[in-house]
Amino acid sequence: MLKTEGQNWIHSLRMKWITLHLVLAFVISLAIALVLSAVAVTLLHLPLLISAVIFAVVLVTALFAYPIWKTKDRDFCRYANNKYPELEESADLFLQNPAELSMLQQLQLSRIEHRIAQIGGPKEPLKRLYVGFAILLAGILMSFAITKIPQVQKVYQSNASKHEALPVIKENIPAEISDFSATIIPPAYTGQPERRQKQFSIKAETGAKINWTIETNIAIKKLKIIFNDKESISLKPINNERTSWFFSKNIEKSGFYQLDLDGKKSDLYQLEAVADLPVTIKITQPKQHTTIDIGQPQRITLKAALTDDYGINDAFISATLASGKGEGVSFTEQKLSFNTRFNNQKNIALSKQIDLKSLGMKPGDELYFFIKAMDNHGQSSRSDVYFVSIVDTTELMSMAGMTNGVNLVPEYFRSQRQIIIDTEKLLKEQSTLSAAIFKTRSNDLGIDQKLLRLRYGQFLGEENETEIGGDHDDHDEHTEGKSEQEKFGDVTAIMDKYAHKHDIAEDATFFEPEMKAQLKAVLTEMWNSELRLRTYKPQEALPYEYKALRLLKDLQQKSRAYVAKTTVKTATLKPEKRLSGELDKITQPVQQMSAAQKDLRTGNLKIALALLESRKSGKRFAEVDRFLLSDTEKYMIGAAADNPATYLNALASLRRLSGSKTLQIKDVDVVQQAIQKMIKGESARPQIKTALPASALYQNYFNNLNRAGR
Amino acid sequence: MEFKYIVLILSMLLMVFMLYKEINKTKKARLFWRILASILAVSCFALLVIPIKYNSSLKQNANEITLITEGTHPDTLARVSGTKYALDSSGSKSNKLIFIPDLSYFLATHKDVRKVNIYGNGLPDEELENLIGYELNFHPSEIPTGIISANWQAEIKTTEQLTVQGIYQNRSKKNVKLLLKGLGTSIDSISVDGKSNKSFSFKTRPKQTGKAIYQLISFQGQDTLAKEPVPFAVGEQTPMKILILASFPDFEYKFLKKWLYDNQYSLAFRSQISKNKYSSDFLNMDKLNLNQINGSSLRKFDVLIIDEEELAAITPVERAAIDNAVNTGLGLFIRISNSKPLTPLSGRFGRVESPAAKDKQLNLAIKNEQYKFSKLPLEQTLYLKPSQNDQALVADASGKILVNSTIKGSGKILISSLSTTFNWLLAGKINDYTTYWSDILSKAARKKIEVQTLKIVPQFASVNKQARFIVDLSTPGKIPTLKIEETKLAPRQNIELPFEWDATFWPTRAGWNNLSINQSNESFFIYEKEDWLALKNQQTLNSTLNFLDKSNNKEAKTTTTAIIVQENLSPWWFFMGFLIASAYLWFESRIMDRK
Repeated sequence: MLKTEGQNWIHSLRMKWITLHLVLAFVISLAIALVLSAVAVTLLHLPLLISAVIFAVVLVTALFAYPIWKTKDRDFCRYANNKYPELEESADLFLQNPAELSMLQQLQLSRIEHRIAQIGGPKEPLKRLYVGFAILLAGILMSFAITKIPQVQKVYQSNASKHEALPVIKENIPAEISDFSATIIPPAYTGQPERRQKQFSIKAETGAKINWTIETNIAIKKLKIIFNDKESISLKPINNERTSWFFSKNIEKSGFYQLDLDGKKSDLYQLEAVADLPVTIKITQPKQHTTIDIGQPQRITLKAALTDDYGINDAFISATLASGKGEGVSFTEQKLSFNTRFNNQKNIALSKQIDLKSLGMKPGDELYFFIKAMDNHGQSSRSDVYFVSIVDTTELMSMAGMTNGVNLVPEYFRSQRQIIIDTEKLLKEQSTLSAAIFKTRSNDLGIDQKLLRLRYGQFLGEENETEIGGDHDDHDEHTEGKSEQEKFGDVTAIMDKYAHKHDIAEDATFFEPEMKAQLKAVLTEMWNSELRLRTYKPQEALPYEYKALRLLKDLQQKSRAYVAKTTVKTATLKPEKRLSGELDKITQPVQQMSAAQKDLRTGNLKIALALLESRKSGKRFAEVDRFLLSDTEKYMIGAAADNPATYLNALASLRRLSGSKTLQIKDVDVVQQAIQKMIKGESARPQIKTALPASALYQNYFNNLNRAGR
Repeated sequence: MEFKYIVLILSMLLMVFMLYKEINKTKKARLFWRILASILAVSCFALLVIPIKYNSSLKQNANEITLITEGTHPDTLARVSGTKYALDSSGSKSNKLIFIPDLSYFLATHKDVRKVNIYGNGLPDEELENLIGYELNFHPSEIPTGIISANWQAEIKTTEQLTVQGIYQNRSKKNVKLLLKGLGTSIDSISVDGKSNKSFSFKTRPKQTGKAIYQLISFQGQDTLAKEPVPFAVGEQTPMKILILASFPDFEYKFLKKWLYDNQYSLAFRSQISKNKYSSDFLNMDKLNLNQINGSSLRKFDVLIIDEEELAAITPVERAAIDNAVNTGLGLFIRISNSKPLTPLSGRFGRVESPAAKDKQLNLAIKNEQYKFSKLPLEQTLYLKPSQNDQALVADASGKILVNSTIKGSGKILISSLSTTFNWLLAGKINDYTTYWSDILSKAARKKIEVQTLKIVPQFASVNKQARFIVDLSTPGKIPTLKIEETKLAPRQNIELPFEWDATFWPTRAGWNNLSINQSNESFFIYEKEDWLALKNQQTLNSTLNFLDKSNNKEAKTTTTAIIVQENLSPWWFFMGFLIASAYLWFESRIMDRK
């Protein structure tokens, strides 16, 4: 059947439409697939092949979601009728058999067949295609952005915590090893999950268990693992083909290891043990020394921040209270707990109000405290000691400071004070007391005052009053004599009988005249006071009492420079006898020692440095140098076992240098740097300076000049 | 010459042939012009092949020559007219310079030359010597950018400091970073601002024993401008021998003894326990009778450490022996604690008492070395007075001297009022303690006389340039045998100093070389030609300028005479003529004939 023009037109419209739609579907599914595969590859680390699968799936879904090929020409007729008014709703005519058409239909058909030439293609699918391309562009941009996410994350993570992962070190893995992995099982207290890595360089917590699984592509007779170049352990194969190997070890210390496959040694791999750190305690409040003044609340707020790398188990305040003074200081120790639970947090902020009163702290007491914390590995740490003290107000009012200088007669001063207090009390109670009692009490006070005066009189060497309470009347005893009490042969008693015993003169001489005058003035005031008291006029006595006290205080201030007299008498020296003893029995000690030759390490390392320097200029190592290099290697193995991160590279470089004939300046540099680090703490030593030769001529000059100068 | 004639003959033949053809032509129109054009074409062609020379007279001073030296800017070279000479053969061809292999020979053979114009960096000293008496006119080139002076110790001892000093001259506008690098590590660096000179001083304590080449590298941004080698050697030497005479043993001696013992210094220690009774220790050395100090026992030691009380207590004979030993080189270190001198030897130094500082801490520093010690918890009241003949070694922050020194005969006397330095050790400042005692003992010790020394001139002897050894020997009279890798050198004795010998040689190998002097080896370093270029240029500039300053530059009588210079006529003229003539002939035969 020959197709009419109209039929052709409709058909081509449909074909165009379908083509454009297919292109659109392709473009959109490409965009979606791009984004999805970017996510899958870069974030989920799936193989690149997945993107093809994704694309296929998306494309198929897109196609079946809208099966365009199922549309019929009739559908397009309907579309054409809607879209193009020129067709006058008669597009259906195109599809009908022209032979079957009526006259009118044929007329209409021929009318519109002329018009279809003017009608352009549909614009709608084209527009949609543009949108599709826009989506594709967006998809490309998005997928590009997604591929960048890991890098951004890496930067962010490395900023956040640099220790998180081992820096990826390019490792040389022996060709025999087809696959391997190291599983690190950190100790339980760390709470870290076990991790698997495909890298021989290992960084693990101290005490972690490490399981190595090694697959080889050929059967290996003997696979050994050598730790720190000393400890060599043979591995046992898991399977009979001797291609699968397993090894497990706990690491307690940093170091390095290497594999030995049938005698073929691999590179050195680093083994770093990260020790658990004790809890760090930072007290933000109060200050190290806090003084609580009068009027301030007697409590302190303690704020502290605790951090640990794995978890804090416990923390408490250890407080020591020091009360009392001088020799009477007593300490009481208390353990204050924070009222919080420790759930192995890594960080915790603690605060506690310490009520000093409830601790039993009185004015003048001091509180020392520190925080002690334990981490979940059982390591304890403590903070600095902090001090809190409460000011003692009575201390300021007391007279303790005055007695510090000379503690000659403290109780007397109190007595004068007591007399004043008693006098005042007596005057206050005068109205309630009977006259007789008042008089006796006044007289008693007078007697007290007298006693006090007598004591002070002693210092001035006042006569007749050596004995307190003794009266002047007793003075006559030696004149009258009491023979019945006399003891025969007692020389001192006889001496006493005839001697007029005054007080000890020596005691009176150690005051300065000025002081004596003042002491006399005190005594005068005391006299006056005693007089008034004895004559029952305590009111009049009071001013004298006060004056006496004041003078005494002044006196005390002055006497602070007083140094008690010592009575040391030494025998006079006889200079002619000094150093004239017999010395012939004294032997002269002679010691002779020679310092043992120190280990040659530093010396050898120093020479090795120069040797490497000469290697830099292209000189080959001689046979003698090899010994030195092997020594250096030995030292470096020791250093690397302790600090693999610092010395392992250098050790590898050193082995390369001594092994290969070609020279890498970089290797030399690395080794030299490491050796310089190993020669640590070398201090200056005195060195002889050198003079130019030709001493004979100079000596002649010198001698001649000397002679000329004379 | 032959070639010239062949060309002439051939062109004559050609001309004859062409003329014959022209004349034989049927058309005789413009015959004259054609003949003329043919003659012109052939003669121009011939002259194109044979260059034409003519003599032109140039007004130039006959008594004057122009000498172009290294560093002359090409623009300057172009501006200078007349005959130019060069001492360097490398650039002479391209720049039309006449090469003078030997300046002295040239001057000797050209007696009429009285004036020399020098362009560029100038001449080194040895060449300048030839120009004494000549009038010089120096046009220096631009001063160089780079290190223009540098110095360091060629050999140091273990634990001594290496000091690299010099001046960097920066002519560019940008900053230059100067870095000292050695043994794989960067040691120190400075930055030099644009358009400025800066002196630098890098200090380091090299850790190797033996030879090493450090590098002074100058950067501008990322570009490396220059990399200059700094070769030096670190040598070990036998430790000094020390004698300590103490009136009583104290902690200062105890710690000093221990430190010296641990470092394997030979040490004899004597302290009095009673009258004429001594306790003596011999560390790292054989026993010796020290009951009586005399010249022979002192000769075995390099340094004597004694406190003033002991110096006063020993017999006058012993004191005289010490005095004598100091005159012949022994170092004497006296510790004082009294404000009044007890002996004439210790009385050479003035003493002054001043109240102790309030914080009771002593801040000490080594004079001249800018080394600051950490604080000593001491109440120091006794200080030393500076005087004209003394050299202060250690002073406190306010400049009050604690350790002073003077020379006596060929020896040294040091005096110290510092009583306890072991506090540094107790405080863990081992470095301060060792630096203090190393400095003091090094200053005091008897100098060791070397058997031979080697000096090489110039400072930076480079490959394929003449260098000179100066060898000092302790045994005069005998001609030393100098050998470099089996090549024997001929030494020349200095007329005035009989112990000094010198020899010239041309180094061929850069790097460390060995010179054997009477069977013993001395190392020296030969630089590459490009090393220290700025410095060498600056040195030649300076020496030329100095030479100009020194020679009172008299105007020499010069006469201007016209000298005849042969010049080539440019072949382009003939080419033009040839072109025009042949064009005419072609045009005539093709176009004019057709009409």
